[in-house]
Amino acid sequence: MTDTLQIQIDRADGSLQRLIGLVERRGFHIDAMSLSDEGAMRRVQLQVRGREEGRCTENLGRQIDKLIGATRVGFAPVPYACRDSVAA
Amino acid sequence: MTAATALKPAPAAAPRSGARLLVSTLERLGVDVVFGYPGGAIMPVYDALTGSGLKHILVRHEQGAAFAADAWARVTGKVGVCMATSGPGATNLITGIANAMMDSVPMVCITGNVATHLMGTDAFQEIDILGVTLPIVKHSWVVRDPADVPAVIEEAFHVARSGRPGPVLVDLPKDVQVGLTSEDFGFHYPNETTPLDHAAIAEAEQLIRAAERPLIYIGGGVKIAGAVQALRDFAGQTGIPSVSTLNALGSVRTDAPGFLGMLGMHGTKAANEAVQESDLLIVFGARFDDRATGKLNEFAPHAKVVHFDIDPAEIGKLRAVHVPVIGDLKAGIEALNARVAAAPLAIDSWFVHTTSNARRNAFRYDAPGEGVYAPALLNELSKTAGDRFVAACDVGQHQMWVAQHCEFSRPEAHLTSGGLGAMGYGLPAGLGAKMANPEAHVVTVSGDGSFMMNIQELATLRRYGVALKIVLLDNSSLGLVRQWQELFFAENYSEVDLSDNPDFVAVAQAFGIEAFMIDRRDQVTDAIARLLAAPGPCLMHVLIDPRENVWPLVPPGKSNTEMMHDTRFEGDM
Repeated sequence: MTDTLQIQIDRADGSLQRLIGLVERRGFHIDAMSLSDEGAMRRVQLQVRGREEGRCTENLGRQIDKLIGATRVGFAPVPYACRDSVAA
Repeated sequence: MTAATALKPAPAAAPRSGARLLVSTLERLGVDVVFGYPGGAIMPVYDALTGSGLKHILVRHEQGAAFAADAWARVTGKVGVCMATSGPGATNLITGIANAMMDSVPMVCITGNVATHLMGTDAFQEIDILGVTLPIVKHSWVVRDPADVPAVIEEAFHVARSGRPGPVLVDLPKDVQVGLTSEDFGFHYPNETTPLDHAAIAEAEQLIRAAERPLIYIGGGVKIAGAVQALRDFAGQTGIPSVSTLNALGSVRTDAPGFLGMLGMHGTKAANEAVQESDLLIVFGARFDDRATGKLNEFAPHAKVVHFDIDPAEIGKLRAVHVPVIGDLKAGIEALNARVAAAPLAIDSWFVHTTSNARRNAFRYDAPGEGVYAPALLNELSKTAGDRFVAACDVGQHQMWVAQHCEFSRPEAHLTSGGLGAMGYGLPAGLGAKMANPEAHVVTVSGDGSFMMNIQELATLRRYGVALKIVLLDNSSLGLVRQWQELFFAENYSEVDLSDNPDFVAVAQAFGIEAFMIDRRDQVTDAIARLLAAPGPCLMHVLIDPRENVWPLVPPGKSNTEMMHDTRFEGDM
C-alpha cells in the first residue's frame, strides 16, 4: 500500500538527507518524491510504501514529527491504535 | 519545539573567535567537565580551553570520551559533553553516540572539521560527520558563522535534554573556530511542559481498577523523567507488582516487596510468568524492546496495555495500546497516584501469587565447586558496597549477571549499554561515573573480551587518580557468544577462545594501577573488601569457569514462556 506524505523542511545542513534517511531506515521504500522551493522552507512530497506488510505509515509520521526543522503538513491525525504488532 | 526567547545581547565586546565563544558558552551553560581528545581541526578550541573554567579530561581514544560523557550524564542527570577532531577523531565517537541514542542519554558532541572552503574536497582528515551520524543523533548542526556559535550550542543543549533526551552533534569547521565576531547572543529555553492528558489518565485508572492481574512494566524513561519516587509511590500504594527492563533496574529497589525482577531474555522466571499471566500492563517509559518481549506476538497475550511515555512515536510502535498517556512521566504518574489513592485495589491474591513465585524461584548461589561463582560474587559485591554501589557494566555474560544478581537501590546505580550492547562501555563509563560521583563505590564489571576494547583508559584513571574499582571476570573466552554456540550452533565454537589473554594484573600494574587476582570462592569476601578499600584505582582479576552460562535464557525468537534453566538446580526448586 502506498501513502503520500507532505513535509515542510528547513534549509539547514542535512535536513533533506535526515528526512529521507529516516524514511528508509524505518522500513519504507520511497517510490516517488518531489521537492519545491517555499522561500525560507522547502516542501517535500514523498510517496512511500512499507518494505513488509504491516509497516505503519502513521508510526513513520510520528517519527518524522520528531525531526527538528521538519513539519508534516496536510494530514489527518490518526488515533494511537495503528496495529497489533511490529511497525516502523 | 518550545519557543526560545532571545537573551539581551551583551554589550559590544572586543571581537572573539568562534572557539572562545564556544568555551564561554559552555561555561555559561554550567558545563564543568568535558571529555575529549585534540587534533588538527579542533586546535583552536583546545587553545581556548586553557585558562577556562572547563575541566577537560584527556581520554586515550575518542570512544572513551563519548562513553565517559554518557555515563557522566546518566549519573548527574545533566548533559554530558565530549569533543574530538575531524575525520578519525569524529568517527571514533560514533559508537558512543549510537549508545547514547539507543539509551536516550543527553549528550553534546563537538567535532572540529576542516575549513568550510575545503569541505567537500576530500581534504586531509575530512569526513562528513554530520552525514555519517544522521541516523544516530537526535539532531545535528554545522556552524558556518562564528556569530552563530552561542545560539547553536544553547539550542544543542536544549535539544539534548528536552523531551526524550539524546545525543546531538555540533560540527565546527576550523575557519569558524578562528573567525572573529563581536556578536555574543544566545537564547533561553524554558523547560517544556506538556499539558497533562487528564482524560487519558482517567481511562488508565478505569482499566487499573477493572484489572485482576495488573503489572507494572518499568522502562528507562522513569529515571530520565525524575519519576522514581512517583513510581515507587504508585507501586507502594496500589500493591501492583512490577517488572523492569535492563535499563530501569533500581527504579524500584530490587529488594522491594512487589518487585519480580527483570523481564525478557535473561529475566527472572517470576517476571516473565507474571507478564504472560497479566491482564493489564501498565508501561512507564519503556519501548517493548525485543530483548524484553521475546516473540512479540506471544508477549503478554492476555493483557491490555496502558502506556505512559513522552515520545509519541513509541506509542503503538510494536504493540497496540489501549490507553496512551503522552507526556512527562513524573507529572503523569503523580496524577495517576492522586486518582488511585481514593480506593484500594482488590488484587491481594495476584500480589501473593506473583511474589511467592518470585520467592520460590529466587536465584541460588550454592553452585557446586570451589571456583569463583560469578553470580554469587556480584551479589555479595553489591550488598557489601550497599547504597553507594554503582555498577558500570561492559557487555556480555557479566553484564547479565550484574542485572540479575546485584541489588540496586536507585537507577543511577546501574550503568549499562542497554540498547546498543556496546562492548567497551564499562571502563570509560566507570571513569565518567566516578568523576561525576566521587563518593560512590563505582565498580566497572567487565569481561576479558570487553575489557580489551577500551583498556587504554586505564591510563586516564592513572593520570587523574580516579579511584574506580574494576572487577574483571575472566573466562578466557567471549562467553555469551560461546554460550550461544553451545546451545544454538551445535557446540561449534568459532572464534571465541581468548585463552591467550595477556596477564591482566601485569598489564594494570604497568599502567600504574593496583591489581590482584583470585580464582577460589573462599577468597571472594576478602577480595571485595580489599577492592572497595583501595585508595586509588584497583583491578580485581577473577578467573572463572569458561563453561559457566547465563541462566535463565529465553532462546532468540521464542516466547518468554520458553525459558531454559540451570539444570544444576533442577528438581529441588
